Amino acid sequence: MDEQTFTPEESLKIINKAILNFKVNYRESSHVFLLFGWLLALASFSNFIALKVLHAKEAYELMGLYSFSIWGIFAVIGFIALFFIVRREKKYKKVYSHIDGYVNKLWWVTLVAFFVAIFICIKLEIAPPTIMMLIAGIATATTGFLIKFRPLIIGGMAFFIFSIVTIFVPNEYSALIVCVAVIFGYIIPGYILKSAKE
Amino acid sequence: MYSDLDPMIHSPLRLTIISMLMASEKVEFTHIMEETKAAAGNISIQIKNLEDAGYIKVEKTFKNNYPKTLLSITNKGVKAFEIYVKNLKKYIYPK
Repeated sequence: MDEQTFTPEESLKIINKAILNFKVNYRESSHVFLLFGWLLALASFSNFIALKVLHAKEAYELMGLYSFSIWGIFAVIGFIALFFIVRREKKYKKVYSHIDGYVNKLWWVTLVAFFVAIFICIKLEIAPPTIMMLIAGIATATTGFLIKFRPLIIGGMAFFIFSIVTIFVPNEYSALIVCVAVIFGYIIPGYILKSAKE
Repeated sequence: MYSDLDPMIHSPLRLTIISMLMASEKVEFTHIMEETKAAAGNISIQIKNLEDAGYIKVEKTFKNNYPKTLLSITNKGVKAFEIYVKNLKKYIYPK
């Protein structure tokens, strides 16, 4: 196309083409949801099993330390794996969308909210699952709305429902509810996202 | 010929680059090459022109010891693009 004879109509075509061709592939994000989905499911399920195996009194005495260490181990594994996933993504990524930026910021703020919530729960001596699932639900549903991916929106809503459920069941079952919530909130949407077309 | 249209934007390659940057936060140089099928030298010249005009920002980093060039649009570039589109409409849809 010659610069001298370049018409406004051709100009409009170029703008339309550039904007229509802009497609972001969010399949890569499925790795993060699956990683944390499986880690959280395993951590919460092992917490539940430990409570059941050790039974009431001893379990509750040991649980504080046990929970802390099991969640700590899974968190460390998660963040190490996340570091490598992000590094790999950066290696192949050529286009950084505005939505990428919003989603990243959303999850960093969510991470801070998780730590604040843990601190509040310890201080007030309340079980963390209810409030943690509420926060996870906000971030998951918002991510779903941002990337226009319905399974994540539904996953976020599932976190809200399971967050309410924890209020009505005995404390020992709340870990099992977290496990189920994570399956609906992260694992199922993660696999659907992974299998989505480019 | 089209005096209302910013000459810095009203060029096929520069307009493609600016439009791509309007749609995203950052774009790598190699992606622009793949999308436009233009020669690297030509793209570099147009990028330099746009950068000198203050319309885009160029970040040069390294990825596995290879240079990586990331481009993003500046506020001045966004403003110029909006005015360009506004003026473009006058030609396409004259009253």
